[in-house]
Amino acid sequence: MAPKKQKEVTAKSRGNLVEDDNLDWLKPRTLVKPDDQEDVPEADLEEEVGRILTTINPQWVADRVAYHYGQGKFVVTPRPTFGKAYPLFIYQGTAIRKDSDEAKAQIAAGYGMVGFDDAGPKRAKVKKSTAEEEEEEEPEPEPGGAEEARPDEDMAGEEERPEGDEPEPVAEDAAAETAPTEGEPAAGDEEEGKEEDEKGPEEGAFMDEVIDIKPRIKKLANQFNFCERAALTYNYPRRSVDTQTVPPPRANFGATALQCIIFDFYQEDYTRKMKEKEEERPKRLRKKKAKHVKTEQQIHDEKLAQRIREAWAILERLVNQNIYDDIAQDYRYWDDPSDEFREGMGSLLPLWKFQFEPMRCHAVCDVQWNPHYQDLFAVAYGSLDFTNQQKIGCLCLYSIKNPAYPEYSVITESPVICLDVYTDIPYLICVGLYDGNVCVYNAQLTLESSYQYKSDSVRDKHCNIVWEIRWGPRLIDGEPSFFSISGDGRVVQWAVMPGELQATTIITLTSNVPPIPGPDGTMLTVNSCGSCICFHPDKPEIFMVGTEDGMIHTCSLKYNRNYVRSVQGHHMPVYRIHYNCYNNSIYASCSGDWRVKIWEDGRDEPLFMFELGSPVGDVKWAPYSSTVFAACTADGKVYVFDLNVDKYRPICVQAVVSKKTKKLTRVDFNVKLPVIVCGDTKGTCHVLKLSPNLRVMCKPPKKAQGIDQRTLQILKLDKLLSLVRDPPFETGVVDEKFEDD
Amino acid sequence: MAEEAAAPGITTEKVIHTYPLIRHSDMSEEMRVEAVELSVTACEKFSHNNELAARMVKETMDKKFGPAFHVVVGESYGFEITYECTTICYLYFGGNQAICIWKCS
Repeated sequence: MAPKKQKEVTAKSRGNLVEDDNLDWLKPRTLVKPDDQEDVPEADLEEEVGRILTTINPQWVADRVAYHYGQGKFVVTPRPTFGKAYPLFIYQGTAIRKDSDEAKAQIAAGYGMVGFDDAGPKRAKVKKSTAEEEEEEEPEPEPGGAEEARPDEDMAGEEERPEGDEPEPVAEDAAAETAPTEGEPAAGDEEEGKEEDEKGPEEGAFMDEVIDIKPRIKKLANQFNFCERAALTYNYPRRSVDTQTVPPPRANFGATALQCIIFDFYQEDYTRKMKEKEEERPKRLRKKKAKHVKTEQQIHDEKLAQRIREAWAILERLVNQNIYDDIAQDYRYWDDPSDEFREGMGSLLPLWKFQFEPMRCHAVCDVQWNPHYQDLFAVAYGSLDFTNQQKIGCLCLYSIKNPAYPEYSVITESPVICLDVYTDIPYLICVGLYDGNVCVYNAQLTLESSYQYKSDSVRDKHCNIVWEIRWGPRLIDGEPSFFSISGDGRVVQWAVMPGELQATTIITLTSNVPPIPGPDGTMLTVNSCGSCICFHPDKPEIFMVGTEDGMIHTCSLKYNRNYVRSVQGHHMPVYRIHYNCYNNSIYASCSGDWRVKIWEDGRDEPLFMFELGSPVGDVKWAPYSSTVFAACTADGKVYVFDLNVDKYRPICVQAVVSKKTKKLTRVDFNVKLPVIVCGDTKGTCHVLKLSPNLRVMCKPPKKAQGIDQRTLQILKLDKLLSLVRDPPFETGVVDEKFEDD
Repeated sequence: MAEEAAAPGITTEKVIHTYPLIRHSDMSEEMRVEAVELSVTACEKFSHNNELAARMVKETMDKKFGPAFHVVVGESYGFEITYECTTICYLYFGGNQAICIWKCS
């Protein structure tokens, strides 16, 4: 027992040291001292006091005697084999020694093998030792055989417990130390009592230690039979699944690279590129014709079709000429003989009527003879019924050689309101559309082709109906240009650039109407709606504009803000302004207020004024005479005036169409032949021949026979004008005269 | 070569073409552009060493489009190859070089 205790103390001191070291950082330890504690210098405290523990119990009385009454003497009491311990309480623990018979029996039975690690059985022994410690008091001796082997193992057990993972060598040292003490167990036993007395405080510490240890003893393997248990989850059996994909497709390729091959291929590519470059330019010009690539067969077919078409056209003309033979004869040779008998009056001989079947419901919005081909005229099919507009329009070219069918016709996306044939290039026709666009058509292109140029609907088209369109002089760079006037009050010059039309706003027609307050404080200026435009024959920058409020503005291309002159010419929209073909200062205008007025430049009042009893759609000066002009009215009549013959009344009034169903819209003189064409609102063009009285030429005076007709005409007009002008011209004179008549 | 020799006689056009010209290709647009640009770069960089040029093209193509590209650069050669579809590009460059790029793994 003693050696064990001794060892325990050393172990404990060691353990405490370790513990102190370990816990120093936790919290500063303040030692509680009793008040009467003696002050010991630090050095003394630090000093280690060696203490030798022996197995000799100093309190042990070696030879104890007791009085034996029977013998009547003192007898040495027999020394108990055990130490001087008195068991107070005996508790049979459940721990058993590993090498006891019982344990062996259990182990043999296969029980407890798993959990028996080193710590388990040793702790069991520790407990037993403490129990035995108490039992030591017990007088009855215990079999020491079992205890003999104990010290070794006890040492190890005790060593391990406080120091946790103290390495084995300590245990061995302890074992070595105990070895010699084993030699004198008897002496140890004898002196145990004394030893215990001496080391009272020591013993207390030891007891504390035991109490500390006790909870750990609970971990006895036999009480809580720990064992490791393992659970095996279900293992899915392994399977191999293979798929094989189709290998990526492969192909073979072979070639030979030689300088000559490379060179040839480069040449080929180069020529191809050059060809493409060449083709690019024309393609840009006519990119509208997308279908460009034609096979030889197609080209051949087209050529054949073209030839057949030409043949049929000739055949059609032959047939028509036969049918309309009498009209054709009249057209050329017949003059109304009655003219000889009625002085100063003439008549119009109706010749052909031109109709285009798909355009029956359209109105002829403009009609113009071709300046180059005397038998050809262009017709613009639109619609003047603005509440019931047609969806499409048509541009047709008729030849009087074939009254049955137009030579050229092209359907447009919007009704055509006006057209003008270019004098320089008589197959170029510009048209103004109801939707505000302007287009240029090339009559030479095949029939299926559409416009050659068109204004951009988004960027620069007019916002209103294009009322009149006129070719203008070429630009500096030689591009043709034309002017259009629209209901949105703008006059726009269109330059025909390669592939596109370039718009320039020449003038915006301002109105006298004061600005109207807009929705959020803005002031909206009102443009006056232009309705017709007319260029001065000699001064290309001067042009006249008629508006829907009856104003006639003289404008210049050089001033885009102000008018050169402004005249309140009419009370209703001005439909046409036309310059005299012989005198540049004389022009005629017609209007919806039923009147035709003849004006001279620079005068605010008209020279002549005629009231025709119906809106006048058109007025045109005759190209052959300086004093003759024709007008057509909405009640279907054509009026022909010759101021030289009658200054106040027309020399010919002829109803061409029934005024109930149709109206006449436009009229035009043929430049060379004595015929006029006029269009009505049902899509018919009437070609009329002027009777001899309507086209009387001037007879040169006997004095000057050599004077040519043009000079005579000019003289005639001047003479007439002098009659009107020479008396101091007073306002209202003409009106009065007219009213009188 | 024969034509080139004849060309001076005509004297009309002795144009030296240096642009890359694709003779045969079934690559995708993106890949083809890449291959052509790469070939041009490589051939200009290693104008006197076709081997290095081919190596450069091959390695770069491998990096960009996955491995196992094969590149032949030369002025005169013949070939018969098996290639994975949509990976061949046979082009001329500089007027005298033929470059064949294909992939086959």
